[in-house]
Amino acid sequence: MSKELALILTILSPVIGGFIYGFERIVRARMQNRQGPPLLQPFYDFLKLMDKRSIIIHSFHAFMGIMYLIGTWFSLYVLISGGDILIAIFFHVLSLAFLVVGGFSVRSPYSVVGAMRELIHMLAYEPIFVLAAVGLYLVNGTFQVSELLKAETMPILYLPLIFIAFLLTLPAVLKKSPFDIAEAHQEIIGGPEIEYSGKFYEAVYTAKWIEYVYAFFFVFLFAGKNYLLGVLLAILAFFIVNLIDNATARVNFRQMVAFHWYILIPLAVINLMLLALWRA
Amino acid sequence: MAQAVGLLIVLPWIFALAVFLSPSHRFRQFVTFLSLPVLTYLAFKVWNADLPFFVETPHWVETAITVFDYLLLGYFLYQGIKFRNFLVSILAVAQIFLLTWVLMILPPTDTPPIYVDKLTAFMYLLVAVVGTIICIYATKYMEQENLDRENRFVAILIWFLGVMNFIASVNNIEWFFALFETTTLASYILIRFRWDEISIKNALRALWMNQVGGIAILVGLLFAIKHYHVYNFTDILNMNAAAISMIPLGFLSISALVKGAQMPFHKWLLGAMVAPTPVSAILHSATMVKVAPYLILRISPVIKGTLLAKLLITTTGFVFVAAGLLALTQDNFKKILAYSTISLLGLMMLTASIGSPVAILASILLILFHGIVKALLFLEAGIMEKVFHVKYIEEMRRLIEKAPLTVFFIALGFMSMTIVPYGIFIAKWITLEESSNFLTHGAYIASIIFITIGGVILTLLYFKVIGVLSRKSGEFTKFKLEKLPFLYLFTTGIYVIFTIVGSLFIARVSTDFINPVVKAITGEFANIKADGLTLVTPTSQIYDWQIIGAIILLMIVPVFAYFVHFKADRVYEYTCGENVNLSIGTYNFFCVSRIEPFVETIAIAFFILTLILGGGLV
Repeated sequence: MSKELALILTILSPVIGGFIYGFERIVRARMQNRQGPPLLQPFYDFLKLMDKRSIIIHSFHAFMGIMYLIGTWFSLYVLISGGDILIAIFFHVLSLAFLVVGGFSVRSPYSVVGAMRELIHMLAYEPIFVLAAVGLYLVNGTFQVSELLKAETMPILYLPLIFIAFLLTLPAVLKKSPFDIAEAHQEIIGGPEIEYSGKFYEAVYTAKWIEYVYAFFFVFLFAGKNYLLGVLLAILAFFIVNLIDNATARVNFRQMVAFHWYILIPLAVINLMLLALWRA
Repeated sequence: MAQAVGLLIVLPWIFALAVFLSPSHRFRQFVTFLSLPVLTYLAFKVWNADLPFFVETPHWVETAITVFDYLLLGYFLYQGIKFRNFLVSILAVAQIFLLTWVLMILPPTDTPPIYVDKLTAFMYLLVAVVGTIICIYATKYMEQENLDRENRFVAILIWFLGVMNFIASVNNIEWFFALFETTTLASYILIRFRWDEISIKNALRALWMNQVGGIAILVGLLFAIKHYHVYNFTDILNMNAAAISMIPLGFLSISALVKGAQMPFHKWLLGAMVAPTPVSAILHSATMVKVAPYLILRISPVIKGTLLAKLLITTTGFVFVAAGLLALTQDNFKKILAYSTISLLGLMMLTASIGSPVAILASILLILFHGIVKALLFLEAGIMEKVFHVKYIEEMRRLIEKAPLTVFFIALGFMSMTIVPYGIFIAKWITLEESSNFLTHGAYIASIIFITIGGVILTLLYFKVIGVLSRKSGEFTKFKLEKLPFLYLFTTGIYVIFTIVGSLFIARVSTDFINPVVKAITGEFANIKADGLTLVTPTSQIYDWQIIGAIILLMIVPVFAYFVHFKADRVYEYTCGENVNLSIGTYNFFCVSRIEPFVETIAIAFFILTLILGGGLV
């Protein structure tokens, strides 16, 4: 992918993410036998939020919301500009750090609990991301995203178990049920987001859309050079995530970490071992 | 050049004596200050010299060291009897017995006992820069604690630097044992410095645990003489690695694990926190525990790829994760730092055991950056204790309003241990990529899992602390830096500058500064290049704009956070409309502390496996 294309995609990513989110709301509604909002609803919400009166706790907290948006945006550019995939994963941690520090910086119990749970989310899904990156490296011999996108072999053929593990960890990344414990609207009312409003909530909201692009771009990488397959995989992942979201209830954080550590990590490791042995 | 090495070893003893005897506080400070430029200059001189070289010593040094050995062990025995500590006494007796045995069968050798290569010079630099700054800080710290005993305290710290320089330059393993036990002695004296009950208890624990390491070296030495008929590092390295017996190296690795406070021998390092804070700083950063990765780096060319190395990888990787997990349960700031040292020492030894040039590079990067950052964090812990009277992380709430600079330095220290683009992150990243090359063996897959999980756990830990630090109730009305004594600002400021500049120029640091050391250890350069600020590794690269971007993102926050004021209405936090008095703590991860006994059991099992299977004692 050329630098210009990457830059354009990154700049447009909130729009793309917004469309994905709008579409997701429709899909979810149809799964529940409802009509659902129009496709552009997220953007209507966006415009409406712009108009709202801004109320904040203190400027540091509001500023961290904006930094979260900038950080996520930057980490997306790191990913799709063709750099190192592990670096991109760790940049995502960096952007998440802003949300977490923001969440911790107010004396709101919901926000503090949510921020801690946000870190526990990371504890769960980050090893899977790294193992997926290692798997991609084993198949194609490179950590560079630009090289992975040019690879002749399709990593999905060699990494089926890692792909499954990755699909099952996506709900934790995107804060979807059953792993939506960091937001958990019914118990901690949105977690770290709760104290943001108006324009500042806008920033956090947009950052979430960018995270959609980030996560699904990762899925896209599993197809190598075959972009059509990549798009299909991303759509498949999208549907599966929504299906799981609709069909499951929230678990607690121990169950989430246990599921990731005791089921998904071994799954990924088995795949790696078999691949390494077969290659040797 | 031999003079420079000699001076590096002897000068700290002289400085220490001067500090000890001097009646004036100003003069003591002056001497301590002097040690920084003098030792740094000498270390640079050795670094730039034609390395490696041997130094012959006169015959009487040999005798003197033997006498010193017996005196030292006699002192340990005396301490054991004096404090009625059975373990200390029995281990001292065992060492006297083993040492006598070793001395009786020691074959004659032509190899000089001092060997200086790039790794040694690197340790000199680390000690000279990181260590002396801690001593300078200690002069101010003791001024606030107890000026009467300052001379004693600072003198021991400076003397410790000399011992550390000595241990990094010895070639003869019997001498290495003598100095290994001398560092034990130094840590023992420093830990019991306050002379209260708990200090003495912890000091005795440090004493017996480190003596176990001493015994391991002696047994290793006996087997080395039996199997190889040589007992110098250089001679062992020159042997055919495939054909030699692993038993001596297994014992040496065990002594490294003990010195490096790996579980189950981690308690002595945790106990060290009862001493004045500069002690922790010096034990954790430049001296003492760094002997452990140093020793593994020394023998890594021989153990590379063997079962011993693989077991070491698994053991240290396990400690990397387990120490991080246990750290989550702590609420004492210094204990958190101590656990994270144990954890990161595991990572250093893990990378050193992998033994490929890139992994060695990662290991040395870790030693360097960990030394700097841990020194910074411990000095900050001391400042918080003395100036703000804060010891537990719960008490750090709203510190951001009182002490913005201290909080900024602490946050920077924590972030530099886990987040892009700081040195420790780079080392972790390089290690991950390097171990991906050897996935055919289970140990390397285990290392990847350990590194990722351990890494996230440490991130969780650090952000737990940063979270408490950043909590505050309202707007910053006016920005005022706290008033700190000049020496505190000076010492911590140097470390902060080192951390940021070192991370910014990480590519140049790695190629120009670390890579020669790698060449000295493995015989070949690690395959990395610097292209401007971009660091190019064999399989990938981290670009200059990524490094700069990340640093800017992280630097914007603390600076802007104080000065950005949004025009918006202020409200209180949402509490479902209830009027509650908010007092918010943080997670204590109590659920984790239940697994501690299991963790220790597994660690013991790994120790035994490393010794029996890895050392080839079957």
